[in-house]
Amino acid sequence: MKTTTEELIRIENLTVQYETDDAVVHALNDVSLFMRKGETLGLVGETGAGKTTLARSILRLIPSPPGVIKSGKIFFDGMDLLSLSENQMRAIRGNSISMIFQDPMTSLNPVMSVGDQIMEVVEAHNKELSKAEMEKQALSMLEMVGIPSSRSHEYPHQFSGGMKQRVIIAIALACNPTLLIADEPTTALDVTIQAQVLDMITALKTRLNTAMLLITHDLGVVAQNCDRVAILYAGQIIELGTLSDIFKRPTHPYTKGLLGSIPSLTKEVRRLSPIKGMMPDPTDLPPGCKFAPRCQFATDICRQAVPPSYQISDTHQVRCVLANAEVNNG
Amino acid sequence: MKTSDVRKQRTLAAETWRRFRKNKLALAGMIVLITLVLIALSTIVIDLVTDNAIYNNYVIKQNLRLRLQGPSKAHIFGLDEFGRDILMRMIWAVRYSLFMGTIAIALSTVVGVILGSIAGYYGKVTDNIIMRFMDVLLAIPSMLLATAIVAALGTSLTNVLIAIAISYVPTFARTVRASVLTIKDQEFIEAARAMGASDFRIIFKYILPNSMAPLIVQSTLGVAGAILSIAGLSFLGLGIQPPTPEWGSMLSSARSYIREGWHITVIPGLGIMITILALNVMGDGLRDALDPRLKN
Repeated sequence: MKTTTEELIRIENLTVQYETDDAVVHALNDVSLFMRKGETLGLVGETGAGKTTLARSILRLIPSPPGVIKSGKIFFDGMDLLSLSENQMRAIRGNSISMIFQDPMTSLNPVMSVGDQIMEVVEAHNKELSKAEMEKQALSMLEMVGIPSSRSHEYPHQFSGGMKQRVIIAIALACNPTLLIADEPTTALDVTIQAQVLDMITALKTRLNTAMLLITHDLGVVAQNCDRVAILYAGQIIELGTLSDIFKRPTHPYTKGLLGSIPSLTKEVRRLSPIKGMMPDPTDLPPGCKFAPRCQFATDICRQAVPPSYQISDTHQVRCVLANAEVNNG
Repeated sequence: MKTSDVRKQRTLAAETWRRFRKNKLALAGMIVLITLVLIALSTIVIDLVTDNAIYNNYVIKQNLRLRLQGPSKAHIFGLDEFGRDILMRMIWAVRYSLFMGTIAIALSTVVGVILGSIAGYYGKVTDNIIMRFMDVLLAIPSMLLATAIVAALGTSLTNVLIAIAISYVPTFARTVRASVLTIKDQEFIEAARAMGASDFRIIFKYILPNSMAPLIVQSTLGVAGAILSIAGLSFLGLGIQPPTPEWGSMLSSARSYIREGWHITVIPGLGIMITILALNVMGDGLRDALDPRLKN
């Protein structure tokens, strides 16, 4: 865990809603989070938990309308991203914060050669460079992700899915960002390629000392690549801690449920124990703890008010009244 | 290493040309068009050098005794209703028919692309204002609109050009807007935004290159339409004024003599047809050549 203590990004009480004519979708509710320089934070949650919304909020790319950032602050390197102008924001996107999208098949411009696409991002952020320097930079990025630079003039359809994802990684890292947001970078790839691509991302981010927000629903991926983990449920971070906090000492019933639903190599279990029920409808969230309807330990207190986040150790916080009880008893 | 260097240096234009060359039909179309352009340019040069002597003596000089004479050795396309050599008139008319059609469509393509992409990309109020204005233009028959514009501005070559260009803008704006709408929601546009691309860059480097195919087909067809519109305006006395030769006006003025001499309608008609055909096959070939996905 080679991390410096310097803080890179801090999200405070971020609330994001999608306001449609029929209903208000509560995508993110009071999310607070911070990341240090160079570290990898895994953001885990079910489909619809708000992972992608969180990633897009950081880049201010929430489709609007209907998306609205209701309240909260995002501090990046001391700047409040939500108060910047669109031009200032554009200078940050792709430069100090960049993003890798889920589906490499559709994330590249089909009529532009891959070399040109890498040059695009270099050009957008380094106007003073000459064409030759930009090209050199683009070619070296391609080589860095393991694609021979002689293929730079080829078009996306001439590459396989895994190679396209590498090109996208090259584009994302071309300007040496300090924060890389990877939104399920391997979901669209097959398992063998997944491992390769993730290994490469991790190696490159370590080399460039880039912090990474890794969004995934694969706990295996998290265990292999992350320093810290945030568990997102119905738009709230319900548990946040270091890798060992989450995997060795899961405290929130939902986290426990998640870990219980993956097969173990060491224990003989006849059946996996999935969490019963469904995630609540984000247009009609329960008033108290969002997980209460599915929680076997839920009491009336849980159903009445949203539990606060309890700091159960220096690195570990949990949004569950049981955690509080544990702290008090122990 | 050496081969990779060569491949790297190949520009987009060279790449397109390499693919275009394979399409023999398109190549033939291009040769026809280049020939026409050369003919047009050489007539302009000849006029300058001879101080319009040939133009005055062979193109517009009437010889009523020989009117409507059929094709012969001396006049291979025959003579028209005023006894003028049709071949000479056809040759001198190329510059008006081809150039004016092309320039008019080029103008309306540029304006249509800009308006259409702004409307499609920004949507909402911008879209409504631009497209409703286009609808108004579209609601007036293009011929009537062009007539009105020429009547208002006065008869001159430039005004005819402007009139035709304006009447074709809505079709281009609609075509471009439609393809912008389908492309702007694709993921690579969002990826471009996430890497910090400006709206301008997104429209011109990401959206428009991806919506080239319908646009090229539309413009080549548009040139054909524009040539006919110019002919129509000339017929009404608002376009190119007689005795200046122009294929469309030659065709329309020959209509009344179709029973006395077939050749004076057929020849200009064939001229227009061949030009339009050449434009269309070349447009098709260009569309395929510009699309790297069809590359082999």
